[in-house]
Amino acid sequence: MSDPLLNVRDLRVTFETDEGVVRAVDGVDFEVRAGETVCLVGESGSGKTVACESITGLIPDSTATIDGEVVFDGTDLTDCSASTLESHRGGRIGHVFQNPQDALDPVYTVGQQVVEAIRIHRDVSKTAAREEAVALLDRVGIGEAEVRFDDYPHQFSGGMKQRAVVAMALAPDPDLLIADEPTTALDVTIQRQVLTLLADLQEERGMAMLFVTHDLGVVAEVGDRVVVTYAGEVMESAGVPALFDDPAHPYTRALLACLPGRGDPFETIGGSMPDPTDPPDGCRFHPRCPHAVADCERGDHPAFRSPAPVTEDGPDAGPDRDGAVEPDHAVACVLYDEDHALPAALEVADD
Amino acid sequence: MPSSDSDPPEFTRVDWDEASSGRRRPSARTAGFALALLAVVGLLAYDLTVAPEETLPPLDWDVDRSGWFVVVALVVLARYVFVPLLADRDRTARHVTAFLDRPAGVLALGYLLAFGLVGVFGPELFEFTYAKLDARLQPPVFAGVNASVADGYSCVGPVADGVCRGTWQYPLGTNYIGENVVEGLIGGMHIAVKIGVATAVVMAAVATTVGTVAGYYGGWVDDLLMRYVDVQQTIPAIVVYIVIATLFLGNVEGVSDGGTLAFVLVFGLLDWGGIARLVRGEAIQRRSAGYVRAATAAGASDLHVIRRHVVPNSTATIVTALTRRIPLLVLAQVGLAYLALNSVRPASFGELLRVSLEGRHMPWYVQWWTSMPAVVLLVGLVVACNVFGDTVRDVLDPREEVR
Repeated sequence: MSDPLLNVRDLRVTFETDEGVVRAVDGVDFEVRAGETVCLVGESGSGKTVACESITGLIPDSTATIDGEVVFDGTDLTDCSASTLESHRGGRIGHVFQNPQDALDPVYTVGQQVVEAIRIHRDVSKTAAREEAVALLDRVGIGEAEVRFDDYPHQFSGGMKQRAVVAMALAPDPDLLIADEPTTALDVTIQRQVLTLLADLQEERGMAMLFVTHDLGVVAEVGDRVVVTYAGEVMESAGVPALFDDPAHPYTRALLACLPGRGDPFETIGGSMPDPTDPPDGCRFHPRCPHAVADCERGDHPAFRSPAPVTEDGPDAGPDRDGAVEPDHAVACVLYDEDHALPAALEVADD
Repeated sequence: MPSSDSDPPEFTRVDWDEASSGRRRPSARTAGFALALLAVVGLLAYDLTVAPEETLPPLDWDVDRSGWFVVVALVVLARYVFVPLLADRDRTARHVTAFLDRPAGVLALGYLLAFGLVGVFGPELFEFTYAKLDARLQPPVFAGVNASVADGYSCVGPVADGVCRGTWQYPLGTNYIGENVVEGLIGGMHIAVKIGVATAVVMAAVATTVGTVAGYYGGWVDDLLMRYVDVQQTIPAIVVYIVIATLFLGNVEGVSDGGTLAFVLVFGLLDWGGIARLVRGEAIQRRSAGYVRAATAAGASDLHVIRRHVVPNSTATIVTALTRRIPLLVLAQVGLAYLALNSVRPASFGELLRVSLEGRHMPWYVQWWTSMPAVVLLVGLVVACNVFGDTVRDVLDPREEVR
């Protein structure tokens, strides 16, 4: 397999605050291959957004310390010049933020802002950029784009603003789109339209997407692979079908149980996120984990293991308990090592 | 409604190696701005070297050194205020409509425009007359003064029951050496406009730069700049001006000869602290706005973000702060001139008031017409500036539009 487009290794982001050092992201690894959609899933405060923004160094140096490696297409973005970073932002890596209400400058027309997004990276004439901007707005589903080009953001609805923001992010033809909860601020019908739009555009352009969300329902719709994070650490990463059919980590299971239509109605995960300045030892989820054992409270974050159960189907599906991580499904949970018997509740369910 | 085009346009493929080559050409605005500045410099050079004594041919206009400064200030004003307004006609039209809905603002603008036009063109349009000593202290038309108040008083108009009546020859009367009060007022307005515009442009440039840089970058840059502002604000510009003017600029007949240029430079370069603070606060807010994050994420440089997003979104604050500052500057100059610490030609309101309140030949309250019009014009200026600033703030504030 060729190198992934984006390879994040041991990313650590810490903030100095009055209450102490906040480890917002604490040793996160994941990769995005060309053309695929990776979803970063977790509760609010699990460090998803910080992880995404540190990829292109959007978190100002003055407040945060970023460690680790972010290799994008052969360039380490944590260790490169400001101009390289600027040409990657937007140009190679597009960004769509959560709140479209705020993402457009009230001083300019929507069209001018799309033109600006085009002209930041390309030396094209204003007329050419305008034509392209109208085409882009039309493509993202803004009707009468020629007319709406001259409208100001306050004349757009939330869904239309997000479409315009998507158009701006895609204008310079990025290879990777980081979508940070792009549908959270939108109502359900508009959410679906924007998701469909993103999926269509991705297919059309063969672009990779890093999709941040707390909504597993959205993951099922758009994702190829999922990275589940909790309190700044990765708990489990898997292909979308594997995650939904065979969730390994107790946290993933708990998250899935919270989805309407699965598990009990109105199920929640008891307790709350740990104090970010003083996370618990061992697995950070253990205080809330129904299956926690004594080993969970000790040591560092558990190592990644393949959760594949012993089967007689063939060598490929066999267990790999020697520590080598099977790349497509990995879980950080002590229950999957050789010393522990898997609780019955975590065995693969047949439903 | 999305397009029903069966073959939707695709996003353009970009060849990045090709696209990122070469630097951006300067925009038409930058080029025009540079050309205009060059033209001013060229005219200045012509005026200084080739024809220092003569007036500029087309306008028959002899520009002094502070005049050149005002011309440069006007070019800057045109580049950063009028060109953007004209370039964005839709938006301007919307603002104009909103502005016209506010009668107080319209009235204030009308006053300021009249004041400005008379101030700029008045000295060219009105033929200035020589003072006539025998026509001194004539009352304004429709008013009268007891002719026996002063010795050797001669009345130009009719005298009835010992009361000298005013005439249309001197609509607002004359002062103690027989100068037409109207001419004095026009001169005072000329100085007020010159001082106000030139100083405001210098101030706006410095304050906006310092304020946005401090607010946008934060950290030690912010600390350094704002501590400097603290220091600067402990020494009022007026004190610096008095020291410089009295010690170094010489004097003419006992009046410090710190002219308009010295005033503009000292106040323009030292009196912007308060505005910079306001702009900084604005920039801190803007820094975390979604569109600034979006622009950064789209690869815009800091300079681009500041120029395109931070400053335009702070316009309302800058304009309001300036409209509050301009009348204070005019008043400062009036005060200095009144105290004989600043000498400008033509005489400013301050000098008019000083001479008038000295009460030569008749007490100041008897020759009220020599001081009252200047006071009324100044009060009007202060009120109009403030009302105009408030109105512009209401109209410009981009946040109003979001709601």
